[in-house]
Amino acid sequence: MPKVYITGLGFITSIGNDSAAVAANLRALRHGFELFAPFQKPDIACKVTGPIRGFHTDSTDPEDWTWPEGYSIKRETIRSMAPHGLYAHCAFMQAVRDARLADADISNRETGLFAASGGSPMLTYFHHERMLRLGPARCSPLGIVASIVGTLNFNLVAAFRIQGASCGFSSACASSAHALAYAFEEISVGRQKRMFVVGGEDGNRDAILPFAGMRTLSLQTDPDIASRPFDLGRDGFVGTGGGVVAVLESEAEVERRGVPAYCELVGWGQASDGYNVAISHPDGTGSRMAMENALAATGIAPGEVDYVNAHATSTVIGDVSEARALRSVFTDKGARPAVSSTKALTGHGLSLAGVMEVGFCCLMMRDGFVAGSAHISRLDPACESLNILRATRAGAPKVVLKNSSGFGGANVAILLRRS
Amino acid sequence: MSETYQPSLSSNKPFPIATKPFAPDDEAALREALKRCSPSTFEAAVQFRKTGNPEHMPAVVIGVIERFVEPDLRSKLKDADDDLRLIEDLGIDSLTMMEIVILVEDVLQLSINNDELRNLRTVGDVKTFIDCKIRGLPLPRPTKFLPIEHIGSVMPVQPPFLFLNEASVSSTGANGKYKITGKEFFLQGHFKDNPIMPASIMLEALGQLAVLFLLEGATTEPGKAIGANTIFFTGCEGVRAHRMCKPGDILTLSIKSKRMKMPLATFEGAIRVGQEKAVIAEDITLTFAYVEAAVEPSAVNGTAQPAADSDANPPLRVAINA
Repeated sequence: MPKVYITGLGFITSIGNDSAAVAANLRALRHGFELFAPFQKPDIACKVTGPIRGFHTDSTDPEDWTWPEGYSIKRETIRSMAPHGLYAHCAFMQAVRDARLADADISNRETGLFAASGGSPMLTYFHHERMLRLGPARCSPLGIVASIVGTLNFNLVAAFRIQGASCGFSSACASSAHALAYAFEEISVGRQKRMFVVGGEDGNRDAILPFAGMRTLSLQTDPDIASRPFDLGRDGFVGTGGGVVAVLESEAEVERRGVPAYCELVGWGQASDGYNVAISHPDGTGSRMAMENALAATGIAPGEVDYVNAHATSTVIGDVSEARALRSVFTDKGARPAVSSTKALTGHGLSLAGVMEVGFCCLMMRDGFVAGSAHISRLDPACESLNILRATRAGAPKVVLKNSSGFGGANVAILLRRS
Repeated sequence: MSETYQPSLSSNKPFPIATKPFAPDDEAALREALKRCSPSTFEAAVQFRKTGNPEHMPAVVIGVIERFVEPDLRSKLKDADDDLRLIEDLGIDSLTMMEIVILVEDVLQLSINNDELRNLRTVGDVKTFIDCKIRGLPLPRPTKFLPIEHIGSVMPVQPPFLFLNEASVSSTGANGKYKITGKEFFLQGHFKDNPIMPASIMLEALGQLAVLFLLEGATTEPGKAIGANTIFFTGCEGVRAHRMCKPGDILTLSIKSKRMKMPLATFEGAIRVGQEKAVIAEDITLTFAYVEAAVEPSAVNGTAQPAADSDANPPLRVAINA
């Protein structure tokens, strides 16, 4: 089976719009949160988000949007996009540069694209309301492809002339981890030699506020402590959006092109809780099985893993459930990998989270550090048996496990190894 | 790729103009809708909405098209003739066409259905179409693009004396192309060791395009068709040749109908090679006569005709419906 490597990354995130800024903020544990203007109203209890800076995408008309200099995007490309389509498009351009890909490397039948997106609630509402009010004849012909969950793959496959496999993944907060995992499969069975994996979320009012209905958002008004996974005082997640792109390539392709790789994507595992539509299993059953499956698939022993980038979103139930799963997989087997959740800095990127955080792990492996789990003042006793890293540690991790969990109790564990 | 004529197009309902007065609110909405168009587009739209005068319509339509064309292609619209093609020349795809239509509908307060859209191929088609909509006139037949097989099947003139490779025919005129191959028999002697397309042949090519227009584009009396074997040359005036045309040149031919009254039809014609003027003919006059139109094969009780009957269709009809 050909090995699979990660050779390129692009980031538009709440903690930076390029890999240099993202790496610096991860290392220094600088978060990207602020009081979000649209939430500063009496009837909205949630106040803090991790917004994307340098872009203006509030308008429902993409031609009103602005973005940082250096990205040239035509009207006919942007007209069918959601806000996170723009973020992902910019991240894609970064990833292409980062991986040193020529046009012919991007557009061929052995290069595909898998994407994960929650769709665009803002545009869905805008176009749907307009249709009901004015009739379908007055609706934009591109309303659907801009709004629905496949919007990222539709737009990017067309914009970058992708000719290989293309598909969207929908397992909520595990979506882009699933996209990465199945992109790995495409390459390791030899169907594709290169895959772009794209995650994106609007991260605006319409994308985040619906989670207030579930009471899963942090109501903290202080941006410095709103997101604090594993802390006793955590009270929910902080929403964020953005776009992240990872380039996966076969070993032969990496050798042919003579490019450096961040790491090897060694393998993965998945399992489901079979328990509740939205609440994770209290014992982390699915997450535990996903990790066990990943370790078994790759032949990596628990003791070889030296860093776990946790899914931990800062919700009361979810963090403890993952901590129990980690204890069962590692502590009980005598292994003590460092554990941290970078969602303390970025917030929870939902469909974006998996690929974004795998990207973070790549940067840590390249730059030689492990980002700490920020904002913990009183560690939750339920997590005490874990080696939760409270500050950034120098030294590159050799083997990294990335956890992702989504609605319906879907769990994905991905193993990375520094090459 | 021949276009099937859409009978539904001829049943156009008049558009009610200025059913309600133009209020300040309307002007604000119009300004918002046209915020990415030129100021003159907005002015024309205001004038149209206030007066209902169709004279303002072309400026609005061109202004809206311009707004959706990529900036580096906009210069083509500045001195566009009506033959400028939306897809090939302006890079407008069918989705952009929808965006144009929605904005035009919104601004001019009319509605356009999908069938009508499909046939708009040139800037001229769009202008004529909107003009007919506003005036409540029957919609013109759309521009038809005819490949060489089709041209050969309808024309009374045949190779080696047919000087059209492709053509498009609208209700007002026709455009065509002919590439001088160098293999034309008369170039062996015209001239010795110096092949130049005879001006008389270029005039012949324009005449052939006019014949094609009479057969495929001209509006005829109800139930009548122009007989392919009734068309002949009668005269021409104001002919000037500006440029020698040689093997390898691609002649771009166009004719416009000036007058048509049985038994005479008069056209103006021009030939270009690239941007260069080659031949001008102020008047080309042909004579023609009507014959009974071929009867349309009709469905019986909503079912298609048996295969035996369709085999009996004359080749012309088969070709048109192909």
